[in-house]
Amino acid sequence: MAIKIIPAGKFPALRLNRRAASLLTHAILIVLGFVYTYPFLWIFASSFKTPGEFFSSGLSLIPRQLNLNNYVYAWQTGHFDTYFFNTVITTVATTLIVILLTSMAGYVLSKTSFPGKKVFIGGILVLMFLPAGYTIIPTFELVQKLGLLNSLLGIIVVQAAGGLIFNTLLFMGYFATIGKEVEEAALVDGANLPRIYWYVMLPMAKPMIATVGLFQFMINWNSFWIPLVFTLGNEKLRTLAVGLYAFVGENSTGWTYVSAGAVMSVIPILILFFFLQRYFIEAVAGAIKG
Amino acid sequence: MSTQSVATVRKVLGFSIPWNPQHLLKQIKKNYWSYLFLLPMAVLVGLFVIYPMVASVHITLYDWNGIGNPTRFVGLRHFFTVARDGLFWNAVKHTFTYALVLVPIQLTLALALALVLNNPRLKGSTVYRAVFFSPVVTSAALVGVVVSLLLSSSGMNLSMALVDAGIISSPIDWLGDPRFSLAAVIGVGIWHTLGYNLVYFLAALQSIPKELYEAADLDGANAWQQFTKVTVPMLREVGAVIVFLAILGSLQVFDLVLVMTGGGPYFSSEVVSTYIYHYAFTPASIQVESNVGYASAAALFMGLLVMGITAMQLVAVKYAHERRAEIK
Repeated sequence: MAIKIIPAGKFPALRLNRRAASLLTHAILIVLGFVYTYPFLWIFASSFKTPGEFFSSGLSLIPRQLNLNNYVYAWQTGHFDTYFFNTVITTVATTLIVILLTSMAGYVLSKTSFPGKKVFIGGILVLMFLPAGYTIIPTFELVQKLGLLNSLLGIIVVQAAGGLIFNTLLFMGYFATIGKEVEEAALVDGANLPRIYWYVMLPMAKPMIATVGLFQFMINWNSFWIPLVFTLGNEKLRTLAVGLYAFVGENSTGWTYVSAGAVMSVIPILILFFFLQRYFIEAVAGAIKG
Repeated sequence: MSTQSVATVRKVLGFSIPWNPQHLLKQIKKNYWSYLFLLPMAVLVGLFVIYPMVASVHITLYDWNGIGNPTRFVGLRHFFTVARDGLFWNAVKHTFTYALVLVPIQLTLALALALVLNNPRLKGSTVYRAVFFSPVVTSAALVGVVVSLLLSSSGMNLSMALVDAGIISSPIDWLGDPRFSLAAVIGVGIWHTLGYNLVYFLAALQSIPKELYEAADLDGANAWQQFTKVTVPMLREVGAVIVFLAILGSLQVFDLVLVMTGGGPYFSSEVVSTYIYHYAFTPASIQVESNVGYASAAALFMGLLVMGITAMQLVAVKYAHERRAEIK
């Protein structure tokens, strides 16, 4: 908001006022920010507490001692080692598949012309606006028929398919901004389409790859509904989110173990966010601008 | 086919060439790499996006417990049962309550915060932005677990403090009391995804040309007038998209409800997605037997409802777009 700039020297009272207002704004924002992140700080503190301490000093953020038993229990007895491994595998595989398939499709849809192209793009635009969340039952049946039920591959293909439409459009838009000269130079050198894609176009699309990759990583690390439904029959395939949910049900008294499990499932994504927060936020902001 | 319709078909299919099957075949052969590049994406979308949409219509016509092939054809009976089921409408009511309470509160808070953080003279605004965005990067399942733990550990302290302050007369069991379970889920929902809208609004505010404010300034408009006469009209287009995304997202709420309350107690926080989940995937606990056909009918019913809302909102976005163009 533009506020009239008044030379502060002329009006000392006003300058003081402005300083006070700025201090007040910061004070409010800091208090709000603390309240906002309190649940995370609290779960982190709780993961070191003993069960007795958990209930006696409920809201405190400083555990009496750094007791790692909860982590050991959650990791070994609570199967969080398996959940962690499953989450890493499904997240990384899904993210790579989505990047590869959507960049390939986005490339040919924006840079080549062939019969049926407009129909294909029209189809993508229609699918973009159809709600997808209500088709879990036939998806489940299909995965079962394909023999992929109760396998990590089943989760991977279903999750990847869910990310294809939107990201193809993103890559299409991105490649459209790259000038023709680049491609033509490569064509003169006699490169065929896969070579141009791999050696010329893909390296130029690094910013979009980063955006799509980061977003996909976050979505897949956090996804719950699909891994939940597709691992109902096999506990060993649970991801962190599903495992945590099940852990709560199975350990209705072991709150401190659950806290440790929760910290383990959130720390990787929070660390990633901490280092790459600018890109996270730009990726989100970019979605609304486009 | 008339010449005109042939021309239309050719236009739609993207031919810039005369109508000639041999030529078409040559074009297809020439561009085989393009088709091969689209193939993997098209196969996955066909299998796991398009097929389930078509199949979900088919399944609704059968009585089926989910094992083997559906055999007992029942026609549209499931739709009539769904339409008469009080629990389904109960879930629909909660879903819309969730969206209609969450969206206005969350968007108002997000816009207010965005206006504060957008002030170029506020130091450290990117740090604050990251702080308020951070819950977004965590899963709804995790958030549900953390809040459940927090309430089971200290919910009693919180309600005792409210009792002591004279705000309420007896302690509240936030997630276990049918009067408060949905409100608790909505409150957490507002907290969890506010960051998205904050970032959307910040991006939108930054896209408003500075000259507009300078001109308003010269005309002697005060901060409030600048907000109502410049900011609000300029935000209308992006604002419509933000509202649209927020409503769509909140109508599909599932994780948070399932983890925090499981739809209970006594269906007091049951939403459509948990209703469907209970019918299709948990036969033993709540329903007598799972009925996949019935659950699909409920899902399709809701899907059509959401599609209707989407169509309405697209019209609204288009309208806002035209209004913005007028302002420019």
